[in-house]
Amino acid sequence: MTLIKWKPSFSLGIPSVDHEHRELIGAINTVYDSMVDNADPEIIESCLEDIYADVSSHFALEERHMRDAGYGEYEAHKEQHEDLLDQIRSMMDLFEEDPESGRVILQQELSDWFSIHFATFDARLHHKLGDHH
Amino acid sequence: MTFLGALQKSGRVIFELLRRFLDRGFGSDLNPLNHLGALTIYFFWIVTISGIWLFLFFKTSVSGAYESVEYLTHEQWYLGGVMRSLHRYASDAAVITLALHMIREFVYDRYRGNRWFSWVTGIPLLWMVIPLGITGYWLVWDQLAWYVALTSAELLDWLPIFSDSMARNFLSADVLSDRFFTLMAFVHLIGLPLFLVFGIWLHVLRINGPRINPPRTLMAGSLAAMIVLSFSLPALSQGEVDMTQVPQSLGLDWYYLLVYPLMKTWSPAWVWGLLSGISLLLFVAPWLPPQRTKSVAAVDLDNCNGCARCADDCPFGAITMMERSDGKAYEKEAVVDPSLCMSCAMCVGSCPTATPFRRHSALSPGIDMPDLSAATLREKILEVSKGLAGNRRILVFGCEGHNKAAKLKSRLNGRETATVDIVCMAQLPPSFIDFVLSRDLADGVVLTGCPGGECLYRFGEQWTGLRIERQRDPRLRKRVDADRIALAWQEPWSGLSDIAAVVAALRNSQAVDHIAGQEVDEKISLPSGRGNSWKLPLTVTAYALFMVFVGWLSIWPRYQLIEQNQAMVSLSFSHAGHRIRACLKLTQEELNKLPPNMRKADDCPRERLPVRIAFSSDGTTLYEASRPPTGLWSDGESNVYHRMVIPAGPQKLFIGMVDSDREAGFDYSLEQELDFLPGQHVVVEFDGIAQSFIFKEK
Repeated sequence: MTLIKWKPSFSLGIPSVDHEHRELIGAINTVYDSMVDNADPEIIESCLEDIYADVSSHFALEERHMRDAGYGEYEAHKEQHEDLLDQIRSMMDLFEEDPESGRVILQQELSDWFSIHFATFDARLHHKLGDHH
Repeated sequence: MTFLGALQKSGRVIFELLRRFLDRGFGSDLNPLNHLGALTIYFFWIVTISGIWLFLFFKTSVSGAYESVEYLTHEQWYLGGVMRSLHRYASDAAVITLALHMIREFVYDRYRGNRWFSWVTGIPLLWMVIPLGITGYWLVWDQLAWYVALTSAELLDWLPIFSDSMARNFLSADVLSDRFFTLMAFVHLIGLPLFLVFGIWLHVLRINGPRINPPRTLMAGSLAAMIVLSFSLPALSQGEVDMTQVPQSLGLDWYYLLVYPLMKTWSPAWVWGLLSGISLLLFVAPWLPPQRTKSVAAVDLDNCNGCARCADDCPFGAITMMERSDGKAYEKEAVVDPSLCMSCAMCVGSCPTATPFRRHSALSPGIDMPDLSAATLREKILEVSKGLAGNRRILVFGCEGHNKAAKLKSRLNGRETATVDIVCMAQLPPSFIDFVLSRDLADGVVLTGCPGGECLYRFGEQWTGLRIERQRDPRLRKRVDADRIALAWQEPWSGLSDIAAVVAALRNSQAVDHIAGQEVDEKISLPSGRGNSWKLPLTVTAYALFMVFVGWLSIWPRYQLIEQNQAMVSLSFSHAGHRIRACLKLTQEELNKLPPNMRKADDCPRERLPVRIAFSSDGTTLYEASRPPTGLWSDGESNVYHRMVIPAGPQKLFIGMVDSDREAGFDYSLEQELDFLPGQHVVVEFDGIAQSFIFKEK
């Protein structure tokens, strides 16, 4: 079962960013699957931690491309990134304190984080960067 | 502590006292001590612009030089005069900032190992700036210029470059030609400045984000201060050159002419020895023991996606982003140049993958320090924090700058405080602070850096501050309570009490009291000494002191050339000694033995005998020498040049010269009674046509 499916509309036309998007979707689906399968909380936690590291570096790369391309809405997009990282960190802490409610909230939020990110900001970024390719 | 260490330590204490004084007025961002290199370059621009104005009115000739500078100074005092003063005082100020800049890098130990390049490329700049000033004083052609010309020429004559004596050009007015001024003008206006600009470029080449321009406030302030100085103490010429009269004393610009008075008692060889000795010592300084070699940053391609944050943060430009080499779907990868890396570890602090939140996967960031990896750092933090107890636990991070970590430990460590030593504050990724606080390893975190923000690795304080303020990547997460973090930059004279004060303040703040657990808006700040009302007077005082210093050493203390009752005699002539043996007439028989193209009637040796001279006054020998012939084949004239100070009053002078192989007596001599007036300058010349000596009084 997959939570998020890669769509061609997700593509930014930058091979590295697209590659990481695909990898992240894979990682999110893995967490989701292990949650659905009622896996040990520790496994889910460590998955979240890896996602935190991966997303951190992914955003760093994406921001680099945005700045290089002179993307006009950089600041807003950057804020979105920071907020998302804060949410992941909060989720990690929540999961550690109370795995059961963590599981419930994570299930609700997981797909939102990324689909919203893709649907709004990255889509606009796509159009902007598209001019350069 | 080694001698070097003690020297650096005491230098730092002086610097920090000065910094503390200047901080009060300027604030740390505008503290001139943080902009010494940039200020030097700025002064150079002032010198350039004022120099262009002076050049427009300057006449490059013996008679025109002095006159045109006098015109600028007196007729056009409101502009040309000010430009002249600015030209002098900006170049004097440049020597001060340059010297402080160099001393600062030395005392803060920022010149060793891989940092040799910037240090070594700075030394030739000294050798360009000083001659630039010297040739400037020369061009004015006043009495100081005459002294400078004569002494410089005597120095240069010692070098085996010129076969003729250059100093002889400056002994009597009839030998000096306008051509010499054209040459000097070229050296001063084009030659040296061109090399200097190139040298400055080379000097900052390996630095990432060098500060070429000081902050505008400092530019405006120092220019205003120099203009005030220019009006209150205008730069003046010191009288027209009269080569028959020696000035008793001169106002020397000690910033440029410091070694010249040595020439009064030292031989040129010693002066050159001193100068080259100092330069050599400076050149080898980066490689002198104790050597500290550390392993450089290493990139782990499996965790590097080419985001380039490390390349942005590296203070030394050691990281470049190159084409991806491992076939992964990324465009770039970080590559470390080991010869540029100073092992400051700031790149680790900037790497987004360096997050300590990893339970199963290894903590291996895209870039890491082999000597103190991110994973080891996390272990250290976990280990140290285990020993903490109480509900106001503080974890202090100490940087390695100036061996502070050990002292911090003994001073602060206890039940509620523990210290972790790292290379530089900017090595610590903000996620580590998040880790410490959210995992409840401590209740507060104190980050301590080098004195006054004078980071051993340039940007440690800056990057750390910006990351905590969430203005630079990687930012501290917004969910982390910034009130539980305090920055403390140690000041060396305080014996760490300022850091202890910050730790205590943080401990007593309600933010860290996790039992109280209330959100409190309480900022941690160092108790500042004085209010803002002191700022302006202190700034003005600082500028005034600087200008007093600049103006004072530019003419005082006056240099005593000769005493009141003294005069001067110079021996100055060239004369060829006889050939080492007489020419031989070859017989026809001998000629026949030679190849046809080499047959000549006379067989003359090329080599000449040395010329011996004796000079005495009232029977006391003042100078006695045997001067060798010049030329590669020892076939040239012998040069005689010697300048000496004699008492004024009537005396019988005698000069004798031998140019043959005779043992006793002289081939040429002259004895004459002269009455020396105080300060009178007499030149002893040899007239080659009349074959006789002259005591030239006029």
